[in-house]
Amino acid sequence: MQSGRLLKYIAIRLLQAVPVIFGVIVLCFLLLQLAPGDLATVLAGESGGASEAYIAELQKRYGLDKPVLVQLGYYIKNIMMFDLGFSFRYSANISDLLAERMLATLLLMGSTLVLSLGLGVLAGLLASLWVGTWKDHVISIVAIIAYATPLFWVGLMLILAFSIKFDWFPTSGMEDVVQFYEGWDRVVDIARHLVLPAITLSLFYLALYARLMRATMLEQRGLDYVTTARAKGLNERQITVRHVLRNALLPFVTMAGVQIGGLLGGSVVVESVFAWPGIGQLAFEALFSRDYNLLLGIFLISAILVVIINLVVDVIYVLLDPRIRVGS
Amino acid sequence: MLKFYRTLSVISATFLVVMAAFLMPAAAAEKKGGTMVMIVQPEPPTLASYLSTSGPIGQVAAKIYDGLLEYDMNLKPQPSLAESWELAADGKTLTFKLRKDVVFHDGKPLTSADVQFSIMKVAKVTHPRGPNTFRSVTSVETPDPYTVVLKLDKPAPYMMMAFSGYETPILPKHIFSKGNLRAHPNANKPIGSGPFKFTEWKRGAYIRLDKNENYWKKGQPYLDRIVARFIADPSTRTAALEKGEAHFAAMGAVPFNDAKRLSANPNITITTKGHEMISPVAEILLNTRRAPLNNVSVRKAIAYAIDRKFVIDNIWFGYGKPATGPMSSNFAPSGLYTDKVTQYQVPDGIARANKLLDDAGFKKKADGFRFELKHDSLPYGQEWTRFGEYFAQAMGKIGIKVVIRQEDVARWLKRVYTDNDFDTTANYLYNLSDPVVGVHRAISAKAIQKGRVFSNGSGWSNKRVDELFDKATVEPDLAKRGEYYAEALKIAADNIPIIWTHEMNFPTAINKKFKDVIVSPLGVYSNFDRVYTE
Repeated sequence: MQSGRLLKYIAIRLLQAVPVIFGVIVLCFLLLQLAPGDLATVLAGESGGASEAYIAELQKRYGLDKPVLVQLGYYIKNIMMFDLGFSFRYSANISDLLAERMLATLLLMGSTLVLSLGLGVLAGLLASLWVGTWKDHVISIVAIIAYATPLFWVGLMLILAFSIKFDWFPTSGMEDVVQFYEGWDRVVDIARHLVLPAITLSLFYLALYARLMRATMLEQRGLDYVTTARAKGLNERQITVRHVLRNALLPFVTMAGVQIGGLLGGSVVVESVFAWPGIGQLAFEALFSRDYNLLLGIFLISAILVVIINLVVDVIYVLLDPRIRVGS
Repeated sequence: MLKFYRTLSVISATFLVVMAAFLMPAAAAEKKGGTMVMIVQPEPPTLASYLSTSGPIGQVAAKIYDGLLEYDMNLKPQPSLAESWELAADGKTLTFKLRKDVVFHDGKPLTSADVQFSIMKVAKVTHPRGPNTFRSVTSVETPDPYTVVLKLDKPAPYMMMAFSGYETPILPKHIFSKGNLRAHPNANKPIGSGPFKFTEWKRGAYIRLDKNENYWKKGQPYLDRIVARFIADPSTRTAALEKGEAHFAAMGAVPFNDAKRLSANPNITITTKGHEMISPVAEILLNTRRAPLNNVSVRKAIAYAIDRKFVIDNIWFGYGKPATGPMSSNFAPSGLYTDKVTQYQVPDGIARANKLLDDAGFKKKADGFRFELKHDSLPYGQEWTRFGEYFAQAMGKIGIKVVIRQEDVARWLKRVYTDNDFDTTANYLYNLSDPVVGVHRAISAKAIQKGRVFSNGSGWSNKRVDELFDKATVEPDLAKRGEYYAEALKIAADNIPIIWTHEMNFPTAINKKFKDVIVSPLGVYSNFDRVYTE
């Protein structure tokens, strides 16, 4: 019964996502039109000078001479046919460009999520168990510092310390371009390159999770069911793991959903500091070169990602807490 | 006596052996191999150097596409794909004899048809500068597969400097003549005849070039591989160079504020050589269409109030040399440059500026200012932001209030070159291989075109200057050209529509493991076939 309702719920949510994504495309498209300057001028500018005729030719070639609504119409028609278009600046298909970069971004996002959630929950849990002691204070202070430090600065300091000074990790990039490792060596090589950017990107959310975990744990501990459990004769360890922790996890699902959206934005900075070849840097370059086709493609992918993650979060709620019902 | 001879022969034999031992390693044997990682900033959008002269494109593509000629450090043409060349006495026929042993990376031989195609169908049509450079070329004849004859309707002496692989790459006709040249599938999978061939481009990360085993210079290139890496953050670029992860960085990839720190590193050399055919000159661009900048006294006052030495020492960390006009002193050896013009870098500049403004009727008002200007900072990095701030400060000293505006590149280009909607801005133009290519565009009337970027942005022009430029364009005699330019530069300095502040020197960082890296006036835009490791 429950699983049938769940499937129906997912189907309805997916249908609802269509107008949302459509709205995102139209809105982004129109917003981008407000930015002055176009791809043709930027391309000509990068060339260090070009004639009027050359620029007019470029504009015509990219369809920039057509009215805005016509351009929008073309774009939507193409999207319907799963054609994200062509990036003239990169002379490449946008779907290829995105696929190439998405993997790097997902790798970074995935490891960041695991790292920040895992360590954040652990730190918060320990702090709540040690509440009021010096250990709790140390964890809280470190969390606040991590929370308040700008990402790019953390990144540069990590490079200076662990790359230049101690020579443990490479400064930047995703793999060694002198050796070009293959097979397992390549996996190890990429993992070594991943360490510093993942730590940098994790710190902020790690701190957030630690503080959230500590607060929720302390709050839950004072609730009636804990007293009941204690009266049943359970020991503190069983109470913490089986009862309090499970209840305290709910807000994390919400936060993790928000974090994934935020990771896309935060990764622009980390990707540029560590020269990580992900979507964030691509979006940044696309914006500054007025490569609207490419930018719209990135927006589309991000919108789809966010919609899906929201759905997944809602479904996880149901699985974690039997009291929550879907579709009612 | 016999013993003496014997001893002598033993000594001389030993001498020979020792000499040979010394000479052997120097001869090629030890030069082979190695990977050089160069930082290219920003990542090139494409590798189509025949479509765009965007800096990063040329830094990579010049290793893949060779040109007819190379140039030595004195800007003298040297043989490359063309083993000899001859200019007819009337300057209207230029004949190249091609090497017979050159093949493209796909194995097909390079012939005169490829050269004809690359000039008539590519350079003259799709290249941003080519139509101007080759405007006098009416046809390219190919009497046999290894002879190329360029027919000109009037002499074009400056053209001799435009045959490098960076400026006019020779493309394989059998590949690029098929399909649309502007959106060609091989744009990003280039096939040339240069010392390195394209292997892989991982977007956002690197471009990998591998040694061309069939390069016509026997034994060259020495390197096995060149990898161009992209690192957006300037501090990370410095870190990668320090750690030896990257070995080479040029043209703004080395942050000016880190150049000193890098030069203190025992493994890194910093050089400013390799810009002799690029010669960027930094400037404050004045919109002379607008009052009060249409007043020459105001422009002179602004020119006097800028301390070029301060700018070079404090904003560009010493990398530069005060400029006297639109032309770089790199043209001094060829006699085209002169510094016999009005000098604005004088000790009493501020006093002179104030007097000029007072005399022109721009009196200081109650708030201490005469008038207000908006300055658009050039959105090309932090030095230019500092430069804008300095300009505002310097103008404050002579009672001109300057408000700074900061926009992104697309908006800035449109504002300056399409809408002409600005008061002052900063910029830098490359002088390139010849004043006809790099200098004329800044102040000639023909270059006042709406929408044409990096052209005459000030809107100022002068009939006599245009006349002199036209003469210098067709004059083959260097001394005569020098005279024309001397007069033109003098008029430009007297009218000062643009305040040329300094000739920019870019620091190039090279890991000391690598030798013979900068051996061309094109520096990073050359083909690196002589680079080797020890």
